[in-house]
Amino acid sequence: MTALRSLRRGLDALYLGAGILAALCLIAILLLIIAQMLARWTGTVFPGGASYAGYAMAAASFLSFANALNRGAHIRVSILLGAVPKRVRWLLEIWCFGLGAAIAWYFTYYAYWFTYWSWKFNEVSQSQDATALWIPQSVMVFGGGILAIALTDHLIHVLVKGDHRITRDLVDQSHGE
Amino acid sequence: MTELYAIALFLFVLFLLLGTGLWVGLALMGVAWVGMELFTTRPVGDVMVTTIWATSSSWTLTALPLFIWMGEVLYRTRLSEDMFKGLSPWLARLPGGLVHTNIVGCTVFAAVSGSSAATLSTVGKMSIPELRARNYPERLIIGTLAGAATLGLMIPPSLALIVYGVSVNESITALFFAGVIPGLVLAVMFMGYVALYATFSKTWAPIAETGMSFAEKLRNSRFLLPVICLIVVVIGSMYLGFATATEAAAFGVIGALVLAAGQGSLNWQTFNASLMGATRTSAMIALILIGAAFLKLSMGFTGLPRALADLIASMELSRFQLLMALLVFYIVLGMFLDGISSVVLTMAVVEPMVREAGIDLIWFGIFVVVVVEMAQITPPIGFNLFVLQGMTDHEMGYITRAAMPMFLIMVVMVFVLIWLPDLALWLPDTIREAR
Amino acid sequence: ETWDMPMAYSATNFHSATGAEFANCVTTGTMGEVEIVTHPGGALFAGADIKRAIQTGQVPIGERLLSGHANENAIFGFDSIPFLSPSFDDHAKLWEAAKPEIESVLADQNLHLLYSVPWPPQGLYFNKEVNSVADMAGIKFRSYNNATARLAELTGMAPVTIEAAELSQAFATGVAESMISSGATGYDQKVWESLTHFYQVDAWLPRNYIMVNAEVWADTSDASKAVIEGCAALAEYAGLYRSKEYTNFTYEGLRAGGMMVQPPSEQLESELRAVGETMTTEWLEQAGAAGQTIIDNYHAMQ
Ligand code: NA
Ligand code: NA
Repeated sequence: MTALRSLRRGLDALYLGAGILAALCLIAILLLIIAQMLARWTGTVFPGGASYAGYAMAAASFLSFANALNRGAHIRVSILLGAVPKRVRWLLEIWCFGLGAAIAWYFTYYAYWFTYWSWKFNEVSQSQDATALWIPQSVMVFGGGILAIALTDHLIHVLVKGDHRITRDLVDQSHGE
Repeated sequence: MTELYAIALFLFVLFLLLGTGLWVGLALMGVAWVGMELFTTRPVGDVMVTTIWATSSSWTLTALPLFIWMGEVLYRTRLSEDMFKGLSPWLARLPGGLVHTNIVGCTVFAAVSGSSAATLSTVGKMSIPELRARNYPERLIIGTLAGAATLGLMIPPSLALIVYGVSVNESITALFFAGVIPGLVLAVMFMGYVALYATFSKTWAPIAETGMSFAEKLRNSRFLLPVICLIVVVIGSMYLGFATATEAAAFGVIGALVLAAGQGSLNWQTFNASLMGATRTSAMIALILIGAAFLKLSMGFTGLPRALADLIASMELSRFQLLMALLVFYIVLGMFLDGISSVVLTMAVVEPMVREAGIDLIWFGIFVVVVVEMAQITPPIGFNLFVLQGMTDHEMGYITRAAMPMFLIMVVMVFVLIWLPDLALWLPDTIREAR
Repeated sequence: ETWDMPMAYSATNFHSATGAEFANCVTTGTMGEVEIVTHPGGALFAGADIKRAIQTGQVPIGERLLSGHANENAIFGFDSIPFLSPSFDDHAKLWEAAKPEIESVLADQNLHLLYSVPWPPQGLYFNKEVNSVADMAGIKFRSYNNATARLAELTGMAPVTIEAAELSQAFATGVAESMISSGATGYDQKVWESLTHFYQVDAWLPRNYIMVNAEVWADTSDASKAVIEGCAALAEYAGLYRSKEYTNFTYEGLRAGGMMVQPPSEQLESELRAVGETMTTEWLEQAGAAGQTIIDNYHAMQ
C-alpha cells in the first residue's frame, strides 16, 4: 500500500512539476520577446531570439499537456458520454483513455527516434541560433512521455476504481474560446 | 472514386473518434494516422513527428500563450466593476438604457482579451446583478451578453485569428486589423437591436437612473482610464509598427500585470493562478493545432484537398454560392465543435478551395470568425451557453432562445461582409500603404 | 509507383512550374512506372524539413534551397557567398566547379542530386539613394541568417531580424529599411509601397536542388533512371531560362511600381567586391579543403 501511495504521490508531483516547468517556459517566451524588441530598438542584435522563443513554445506546450489533461482543460465532445447509462459510459471512458494512451505512446516512441537521429546526424537549427536540435527536441519527448503516462494512469484508474481523476472547471476549460 | 472512398473513410473515423469523446487533438492525430496507413507507403511515425515538431516550435505561435496570459490576469482584476462604473453614466440615456453596458463593456474588454469566454465571464459577473436589480428584461440581458461576448474573438487580440493565421500562414497583424471595423459594426448592430427592442416592447419598464451632471460623468470615467491605456498600448504598438502581434502580446502581459498591481489585486496567488491557467489553455490549443497539422499532412499525401478543390472548381460555383455553402457547413459544424477546433480541422480542405476561388485570405479570416462566433451560441455545444448556464442557473434552452436574435444578427453580418468586403480589408490595406 | 515531391514555394513560382513539368515528363516518359506528384507551397513539408524528409525516406524526392543548411555544413553555402560570382554566367561556372564536391557531400547523406536551378540574383533594396558603402551606415537592414548579419556588420548597417511572414509589415512601419533579396521577393511583397531603390548588385544566386533518396534511386530500374535523368537535364535548362526571364519581368514590375531599378555606382560595386573577398575568406575558414577546391576550380575557369 505504501509503495502504491508513494507511486501516486510521485506521479502527481511529476505532472505538477512538468506543469510548473511549462509555466517557466511561458515566462521565458515573454522575456525572449522583450529582449528581442529591446535589441531592435537599440540597434544591437540578438541572434536567434525567434528560434529560442519557438523552442520555449514547444516546451511550454508539451510539458503542460498532462497537467492540462488532469485539470480538464483539453477539449472533448461529451454529448454521448453525458447521455449514456453509467455502465456504457465506463466502457466509453476505457476506450477514450486506452486509445488516447496508445496515440500518446506511439507519438513518444517516434519522437524519441526522431530526436535520436537529430543527435546522430548532428542536426543544427537553420536559423542564426544554430542550436543542436536534439536539445529542444528532447523536451518534446519528455512531455509526450508524461502525457502518455498520465493517460495510462487515468486508464488504470478507470479500470480499477471505475472513474478517472480529471477535475473540471468550466470557466478554466473554456478560456481558449 | 478513390477520393469518395477516402472522404467517407476520413469522415467516418473522425466522427467515430470525436463522437465517442476522444480529446480533439488526439482524435485528429488518430484520423491522420489511419489515413496515412491506408493511402500511402510512407513511414507514418517519422512524418508525424517531423510535422508536429515544426508546428509546435513555431515562432508565430508564441503570440497565443501571451494573449491568453494577459486575459487571465485581467480576468482576476477588478476591471469589470470599474468598467461598469465608468460606462453606465454615459449609456443610461440611450434607448435600451444600461443593457448597452453589456455590449459596450464586451467591446472594450474584447480589445484586451483574445477569448470570448473570458469576455463573457468578466463583463457578466458585474453587469448581470446590476441590470437585474434595475428590472431590465432577463432575456435581453442574457441574450445580449451571450452575443456581444463573441466579439472577444473578432476585435483584436483574438485567439481564433491567431489560430487561423497560423493555419493558413497569413500575417496575424493584418488579420487583427481586419477584425477591428467588422467588430465595431457588429457591436453597433447589437446596440441597434437593443434600442429597437426598448422602443417597441410593451413591457419595457426599467428603473430609471438618477441623473448625473456632466462633470460627475467625467469623474466616473476615470475608472475606464486603465483599460483604455492598455488598449492603446496593445493595438497602438501594432498600429504604429513598434511591435508585431507577438510583441504587442508581450506589452499586453506587462500592461495587465501593472494594471492589476495598481489596483492592488496582484498577489502571488493571482499571479500563479493566471500563469498556470494560461499554460494549460495554450497547451489545450497547441494539442489541437499539432493534431490538425498532422491531419493536414496526411490529407496532403492522399491528394484529397486538391481533388476537392478541383471538384468545387468544376462545379463552377460563384464565389457567393461557395460562401453560402461554407456558411451552412460551418453553422452545422459549429453546433457540435468549438470554434478553434472547427477552424483548424477544416482549413486543410477549405484553404485550397478558397484560394482557388480567388477569395482574399485575410477577408476570409473575418468571415470564418463571424461563423465561429455563431458557434459559441448554438446548442448543443456552445461555450458561451455553458458559461452563462454556470453563471445564471438558467436552462440551456432558455439561454439559447435568448441568444437567438444575436445569432440572426450575426447571419446578417455575414451578408454585410460579403456585400462590403472593404469593412475588413480597408484598415489593413490603409496601414500597409500609409507609411 | 508514386513519388510525392514536396516543394517549398507557391504553385505559381517558376521553380514549382519547372518541377511540375519535370514531374509530367517523368510520369509520361516512364509510362507511369514512376509517377511524380508535386506538392508545392509547402503543402507536405515546410522548406526547412524537406531535406531531412528525403534523407529519412519520408518522401522519395523533393526540392530544397541547400544554402539554408549552411549551419550544418558550410559547404552548402557555396552558392551564397556575397559578390563572388555576380552574374548568371559566372554563377554557372561556380556551380560547375562545385558540383562534384556537393554531389559527394549529398551522397554521404543518403541523397542523390538530380538537377538544380538558380534563383534570380540578389540585389539590395533601400528606402533612399545609396552610392557607396558609407551611405549605408546605420540603415536598418533585414538579416535572416549569419551571412546576412555579417554583411550588415561589414557595411556598417544595423541588422534587424524579421521573420518572412512579417516582412511587408516591417517595411511599411519602418522597422526595417533595407534588405538583400531577389527582384522576385520585392515584386511579390509589393515593397514599392515602402522602399524606393533597388540596386542590381547581383550579390549571389542561391540555387534550389532536386534530390532523391539514394536508396529509392538505387531501386529504380535503369530504364526509368535514364528517363528521369533526361527529364532532369531538360528541367535544368528550362529552369535557368525561366529564372533569367523572370529576373527581367520582376525588374519591370518593380519599375512599374515606381522603384528606381539600376546597377550600382562604380564606387559601390568595388567596395562591395572588397566585402565579398572578406566574406569568401571567412567562408573558407569554415568550409575547409572542400571549399578551397571549389574556389580554386572556379578561379581556374575564369
Ligand atoms: Na479580442
Ligand atoms: Na455551437
